[in-house]
Amino acid sequence: GGAMSFLKRFPPPAEGVRHRQPDTEAVLAGRSLGAGTLYIAESRLSWLENSGVGFSLDYPTISLHAVSRDLSAYPCEHLYVMVNAKFEEAETKEAPMAEGEEEEDSDDDVEPIAEFRFVPSDKSALEAMFSAMCECQALHPDPDDEDSDNDYEGEEYDVEARELEQGDIPSFYTYEEGLSHLTAEGQATLERLEGMLAQSVSSQYNMAGVRTEDSIREFEDGMEVDMAPVVAGQFEDAEVDH
Amino acid sequence: MEVSHSVKERTIAENSLVILLQGLRGHVTTVDLRDESTATGRVTNVDAFMNVRLAEVTFTDRQGTVSCLDELFVTGRNVRYVHIPDEVDIRATIEQQLQAIHRVRYFGGRDKGRKEFPRVKHK
Repeated sequence: GGAMSFLKRFPPPAEGVRHRQPDTEAVLAGRSLGAGTLYIAESRLSWLENSGVGFSLDYPTISLHAVSRDLSAYPCEHLYVMVNAKFEEAETKEAPMAEGEEEEDSDDDVEPIAEFRFVPSDKSALEAMFSAMCECQALHPDPDDEDSDNDYEGEEYDVEARELEQGDIPSFYTYEEGLSHLTAEGQATLERLEGMLAQSVSSQYNMAGVRTEDSIREFEDGMEVDMAPVVAGQFEDAEVDH
Repeated sequence: MEVSHSVKERTIAENSLVILLQGLRGHVTTVDLRDESTATGRVTNVDAFMNVRLAEVTFTDRQGTVSCLDELFVTGRNVRYVHIPDEVDIRATIEQQLQAIHRVRYFGGRDKGRKEFPRVKHK
């Protein structure tokens, strides 16, 4: 038969690969796609033929998966994957629609289905393949679930954060925020202290966080470290008159 | 009695009837799927998202073709019904599951364990 148009060339997944099974044949609706490697990764399920072309399946589109060892149903033990999507292929024999309806013409009552079988040469790997898929599938819960109560999101889940909130943890303010929390007297005191600091700081260098006349113009946030160039002499054995 | 390791999943279960399904672990039951196929097998696991894992499954697809599957995982989205076996006492099952969750939550004694939710709605 002709090439399957949905097959593409892409590099094998490198991250979050829970299971990798080489020497695995992929079959779509009874038609073999060849021999390749199955990658069960957290982000998606991928299969790459030895020639380098393959396809990927997104977990939200996968309705179910299973280990089949019933040789009367299919002659080889395999991992069965049912996908809620259409894949371009030759006439499908395994997923005919009811009462002669064409898949393309059907209304929403009949959903598209594609049946994949992954047949590893190593049958003993089927358990691990199945489990890896279960784990990855669980990472992709249905976002359209109307029944789920989304109130479960957020702070309440973090037990540690909740426990911390109940304790007394001091808050840190930015300069502007902190200023607004000071009384008029407090602000005056702050200004006086800063003035004293600024004067004691010689013109040879600026102390981080201290607002001098020069730095006031430059910085919005007094907590920033002063990056202004230092006047020469700071690190020399200059005599500093404090 | 196994309980999820996830705080979020325990909470979802505690506040929905998924907790009943989780209590079916070990029982043989039938799951009707959204596409009208059915799967009868022993419940291995049901998670908070109603993903159902069955073992020793008799699967009847929507055309009526029967096959056996060693293990089957159905995503919650595709579950239409889960039949509750006759021998299962629904109320007792729910209570047992809730107790299992509370054992985890209050491990170490009341007020000493992980405070997942300070407001507990039931006794």
